[in-house]
Amino acid sequence: MSGLEARLLAAHSEGEKQALVTLYEEAATAAKTPEAQGFFLTQAYVYALETGHPKAADLHLRLKASGREA
Amino acid sequence: MSNPKSLADPLAAVRQPVATANGLPNAHYTDPGVFSEETDALLKTTWAGLAVASDVPEPGDAVPLTFLGMPLLLLRDKAGTVRVFNNVCRHRGMILVEEPRKIEGAIRCPYHSWCYATDGRLVTTPHVGGPGQNTDPDIDRATLGLIEVRSHIWHDIVFINISGDAPAFEDQHAALLSRWDAFDQPHIHGGADSRFTLDVATNWKLAVENYCESYHLPWVHPGLNSYSRLEDHYNIVAPEHFSGQGTRVYRQLTSEDGTTFPDFTNLPAFWDHGAEYVALYPNVLLGAQRDHAFVILLEPLAHNQTREHVHLYYAAQNTDDTLRATNATQWKQVFEEDIFVVEGMQRGRSAPHFDGGRFSPAMDAPTHCFHDWVAARLQTHRDQ
Repeated sequence: MSGLEARLLAAHSEGEKQALVTLYEEAATAAKTPEAQGFFLTQAYVYALETGHPKAADLHLRLKASGREA
Repeated sequence: MSNPKSLADPLAAVRQPVATANGLPNAHYTDPGVFSEETDALLKTTWAGLAVASDVPEPGDAVPLTFLGMPLLLLRDKAGTVRVFNNVCRHRGMILVEEPRKIEGAIRCPYHSWCYATDGRLVTTPHVGGPGQNTDPDIDRATLGLIEVRSHIWHDIVFINISGDAPAFEDQHAALLSRWDAFDQPHIHGGADSRFTLDVATNWKLAVENYCESYHLPWVHPGLNSYSRLEDHYNIVAPEHFSGQGTRVYRQLTSEDGTTFPDFTNLPAFWDHGAEYVALYPNVLLGAQRDHAFVILLEPLAHNQTREHVHLYYAAQNTDDTLRATNATQWKQVFEEDIFVVEGMQRGRSAPHFDGGRFSPAMDAPTHCFHDWVAARLQTHRDQ
């Protein structure tokens, strides 16, 4: 298990949703394919929306620019 | 001996003039099937009291409620508007919010994470078009927002019309709004010490029936009657809308040092010594006085079980803590004094030959007014 994966699981386990935003964004940055990047950005966006995270608007723009979000 | 009319056509017997009418038959209190029928005819097609807006004081505050078996979500959106939604996701019908909490950003369904803004808009549908693809041509977000229940706020009370087709609240209840228009001013919830609930083993209608007449006061509330005598009271009857009783002798609660609650402003002289207690059909019991008000929201849980949600209101913020606590204690005592009556009448409705009872023409007009409303709506419902 990678360090990032372990941190993601820990954040899920602890319900640290703000941390999930940055961790999933980090996963998106490290992703090797556009599909994987879209998946992780979506995960980050959802938790940003839920928590009112300031990155929500930026994540939305990135997803929209890649045709993954309305 | 039973009234022959009551056996031939029970609802027609209820709709007779008060002097000759019978009350609603036993089945209206003991039969789960009739309870369900009345839920449709009396509670879902009218403006039912659900909660108070003070339950969600800040934007983003959300309270899940179950009312008449329906999962609802009381929410104050980011713009400050109080709304009531079905508490279910438009995707697979999952319950969205399980506990009262603050919605910081969006409402995320815990199942597949469809997200809703606090005004109900569906704002994202993650992976709906496949991994990382959050749109799908067949999923039109504009048509898949949270299903909102028609609601109206009056004096902090959140009324809902489940069927969505009742007349506008202001039209439906124009008579009471006009009667009490002097109280169209801020009602400040007294806070945590000014709310309590009572679980009562009775049909919700018996709570209405007991509340709206003064006949029982000398026997059940001797403490009240010591200063507000039966002869000081009068009936209030507004067919199809509300009924209750008033008193011409309202005495303010006063502390030992002479402190009283501040009055609502610019009230007509009547309210110097008058007070009124009204059941607003179907399930909202109201008290109006110069210096405070209260509401009892009747939550029908089953044909023989009701939860009473009591809230007290004042004309100003920062009322005296001790006086406010005393007031809540006194009202709680009064309402608890009624429990043995409404529970006793509920048990009495299992008597096999009870015919609904008879009314005192002089004293029971408000109760009969409610029965007449119930019978008329139920008959219309059955005829449809």
